[in-house]
Amino acid sequence: MGRWIRFFIAIIFGVVVGLFYGWVINPVEYVDTAPDSLSIDYKSDYVLMVAEAYSVEHDLALAVRRLALLNNRLPAEIVREATLFAETQGYADADVRLMRALAEALETWNPLLETPTP
Amino acid sequence: MNADRRGPWYLLTGLILGLLIGLAVAWVFQPVEYINTRPASLRADYKDHYRALIASAYLASGDLVRARARLELLQDEDMYRALAEQAQRTLAGGGLPQEARALGLLAIALGQPPPTVPPPTALATASPSATAAAPSPAAATATRRPATLAPTFTPLPSRTPTPTQGAPFILEQQELVCDPKINPPLIQVLALDAARQPVPGVEVAVTWQGGEDRFFTGFKPELGLGYADFTMTPGVSYALRLADGGQPVSNLTAQECEAADGQRFYGSWRLVFVQP
Repeated sequence: MGRWIRFFIAIIFGVVVGLFYGWVINPVEYVDTAPDSLSIDYKSDYVLMVAEAYSVEHDLALAVRRLALLNNRLPAEIVREATLFAETQGYADADVRLMRALAEALETWNPLLETPTP
Repeated sequence: MNADRRGPWYLLTGLILGLLIGLAVAWVFQPVEYINTRPASLRADYKDHYRALIASAYLASGDLVRARARLELLQDEDMYRALAEQAQRTLAGGGLPQEARALGLLAIALGQPPPTVPPPTALATASPSATAAAPSPAAATATRRPATLAPTFTPLPSRTPTPTQGAPFILEQQELVCDPKINPPLIQVLALDAARQPVPGVEVAVTWQGGEDRFFTGFKPELGLGYADFTMTPGVSYALRLADGGQPVSNLTAQECEAADGQRFYGSWRLVFVQP
């Protein structure tokens, strides 16, 4: 076996060891994550909490601000996706109803009609 | 011949080169992506938002078991203290009053002491710096992931401390408390219902020339669920009323007291409000 071949084998071995160390043994740690990185079940529970609060507060602008923490998509889309997940995961009917009610309210929500919060 | 004399060092060079390439790929170009994180890894300010939302949802549903399960996801060292401190921060920072109230009420519900609450007379000697009681370890063992287990609505009305609805509070007692241990001087408020049980979550408004502050009873449950206090600045005259309606109290200023050894200090006011 030529020297170059053994040299490249050594490089490949080093790459494998480096990847194993960097991905498995000591991966990059994220300790200050944003809500958009939460897994779908936590996101759905977050949306459920927004829906629970909205059912009493009836403050759609506040609900939208809370949902905006999850990601930059339209609030109605976020709630629809979470509701779909809730339905497939067998959430309690009362919970799904709250999420649907929030989704319906958001369908007709117009941010231009909101009075600015001081 | 020359190549043989160089030995196997070229293998080590290749290994180190490969290692560097591997680490660069693993840490820089293609790091492990955290796309399914847990609430415990959220940044502190996002945790605050999450915690406030848990409290608001609790206020809507009254489901303390679910609220506790959600709070455990944040892995706070002391969830009661985290809630109480955030409630105070929210009020002090001009945040939403309803969120502050929700945080406070959830803290109270979690840290609810046994039915025997301190009598009003105990407040005269209670130091405001006393530490909060931790939630009971037995209650803290309830763990579950709320979303995947499809929690059901189980309102717990008896555990939901809401202000007693009814007649406005009237001032029953106004007393100057001369206790050198209470420093700086305080306005101590105790709200009691008609059955003389402490009422948490009653909003108290204090005004003075050029300022106003609002806070709620029950944020220091170790001093009583109906208790709240406000730090006075000597020389400033304050007016106080309970925001749900009730008898206003004005001209509250820090009065001088004299200790047994002749030392002078500012006393505190203790106001007991009762619903008739």
